[in-house]
Amino acid sequence: MRAFEEIEAALEDEEFQSALSKASLGTQAKVEEVLRSRPELLALAEEVREIKRAAIARLDELLEQAMNSLRAVRATPHLAETAEEAREIVGKLIGRGKLVVLSKSMAAAEVGLRPYLEAMGNEVWETDLGELLIQLEGTKPMHTITPAVHMSRRRAVELLEKAGAKVEGESIESAVRAAREFLRGKIVRAQAGITGANALAADTGAIVTVENESNVRLVSSLPPLHIALVPVDKVVPTLMDAIKVAMVQSAFAGLYPPTYINVISGPSSTADIERTRVYGAQGPVEQHVVFIDNGRTAARKGALAEQLYCIRCGRCQYECPVWIHTANRWGGPVYGGPMGLVWTAITYDANEAAKLSFLCLGCGRCDEACPVGIPLSRLIRELKAYAMRDLK
Amino acid sequence: MPFEPREIARLIADSMKRYGLPFPAPSDVAYSWAKGISLPSRGSPMLYTGALYQLAPYIVSIVDYTSLLEGSSLSSLGLKLSRHLPPSVLRIAVRPREEVRAYVERVLRSIVKLLERSGIRPAYAYEDDMYSGVLLYDLGLDELFAEQARKVFKALKARGAQEVIAVDPHTTHVLRSVYPKYVDGFDLSVRSYLEVISASAVGRGEVVVHDPCLYARFENVVEQPRKLLEGAGYKVLEPRRSRRMTYCCGGPIEGLAPKIAKKIARVRLSELSEKSSLIATMCPICYINLAEVASRERVEDIALLLAGEVK
Repeated sequence: MRAFEEIEAALEDEEFQSALSKASLGTQAKVEEVLRSRPELLALAEEVREIKRAAIARLDELLEQAMNSLRAVRATPHLAETAEEAREIVGKLIGRGKLVVLSKSMAAAEVGLRPYLEAMGNEVWETDLGELLIQLEGTKPMHTITPAVHMSRRRAVELLEKAGAKVEGESIESAVRAAREFLRGKIVRAQAGITGANALAADTGAIVTVENESNVRLVSSLPPLHIALVPVDKVVPTLMDAIKVAMVQSAFAGLYPPTYINVISGPSSTADIERTRVYGAQGPVEQHVVFIDNGRTAARKGALAEQLYCIRCGRCQYECPVWIHTANRWGGPVYGGPMGLVWTAITYDANEAAKLSFLCLGCGRCDEACPVGIPLSRLIRELKAYAMRDLK
Repeated sequence: MPFEPREIARLIADSMKRYGLPFPAPSDVAYSWAKGISLPSRGSPMLYTGALYQLAPYIVSIVDYTSLLEGSSLSSLGLKLSRHLPPSVLRIAVRPREEVRAYVERVLRSIVKLLERSGIRPAYAYEDDMYSGVLLYDLGLDELFAEQARKVFKALKARGAQEVIAVDPHTTHVLRSVYPKYVDGFDLSVRSYLEVISASAVGRGEVVVHDPCLYARFENVVEQPRKLLEGAGYKVLEPRRSRRMTYCCGGPIEGLAPKIAKKIARVRLSELSEKSSLIATMCPICYINLAEVASRERVEDIALLLAGEVK
């Protein structure tokens, strides 16, 4: 199995091991400090836990409400049952020969969007720096929110230069500056911007994203067309709920306060001339939301249902003793680590996830780390039982 | 991975059927440590080891064997062999490591001493001190696990047990939190010996505690071991990651992925040794994993520290 060969190679890669060790110890300490100094965030996490539980329980109803709310703000909702459908919907909206910018989105990776759009003859660029490095390296995101966690500065500079960015000197600052210049050139000319979402509010159709780089802001506002990919489990009842999800995600990722929380409800507009509303002011003229099911509603009835509460903070990854040596090389083709195993089972292939689940220690550190109380070690044991179901 | 989990599961299932144990071992492996200690063979509370300590010397040998295969061209050969290898052959290949066997025997005898010193004279089921099935549960072999759990429950009940005193975190956890989901009418009260004994002053110096995952995160056995060590005269030091956020020793995947397990053990050992060169463990799996990678550090089971039996 190729996955095990990749894990094996990661174990032997000293640069990979030392980068991960440094990142995980650093993030563990940061999250601990954020939560220690701001106990109200723990209370907020409890609240989000309840919000997610309630939302998943009435997902069908909320999804319908969200679609109506989106139409009300002149956005266009789409529902993709499968990864293939999601790719096709986005492909039709974009067409061929376009310049497309993406902000880091695991949903986009899940449906294989970038290679699909490229194969259609589009030029596609990731704008999150970590994700851009992953694109240039031709690998996969190694962590849910810090995709290039395994990479050294030397490697980052090498990749940026190969892409044509002009890095002056060896410092991390100069690499960031070069990436900024390079990406600006793409973003201002792009005909379409694609983002993910941390949450989507059913009552308003508002998409909430949280970020530090400001690339989500640019990608969602500069191009004339904005497409948001929203896995259906991200729908919550209200805009306040959605903002709470973003706040907790950011705290449990150790990035608090978040530099930006963005709220987007429909395309840009103005009513400044004769109080007549016209869509397409400085921001997008058109906005589309592609809801992605891809196994999620089916999972609500199964043994893995609690995974749907996940807010993708990636803390379970940084706290997992196995993940710290493998990163997302372990967990499946897109997702990785404790939550990744279960997401792989839900969105890709339960057999694949079940095979990989045997590297789980069952130590329960992920259960303890999860802001929304997903019993990850129990869900992963379910995967093991699934792999052994015919053995008596 | 040197072995496919399903291949290992097959070997274990086969061994369970033949020997009632996950690996081939002599039939008296679970209770030979108790020879010469006369405990009532019926009654309550009942000391129940679940044989995990006693299997540790076999686990070390199996891990040596799989480590040898991992990453080598022997790996695929080993895999093919295991398909046809009857457990009796594995029995010859896997000899218990003698120094570990002697060590765990001392631990179990110390636990009896600690209980008696605390005014508890437990019953012991001898040949009915059966394997609890923890490994079956961990590997997802639910039907085999349920079958074993029912057998254990029946045997303990037949010997008059109402309260059960377990000696390691895995056995405490499955009996207390998992058996009730798999065994109809399960009504035993289960505690770890660390929850029932009291301390006597037998030691001194500093010791760093390594919380086992299951005690700390699943069974809330967190403060008791610290109080006992303090009561015994030790100054208890905490590693950076402790209590509910304790860090695993790597043990649970040592048979399937020894390379990762060793890396995890080294990470844990190094953060423990930042605090003290004397490390207290409470689980046979933690003990063998940390002791395997230790050089200057001394890893000791808490029972020996509390009983004043450290050499």
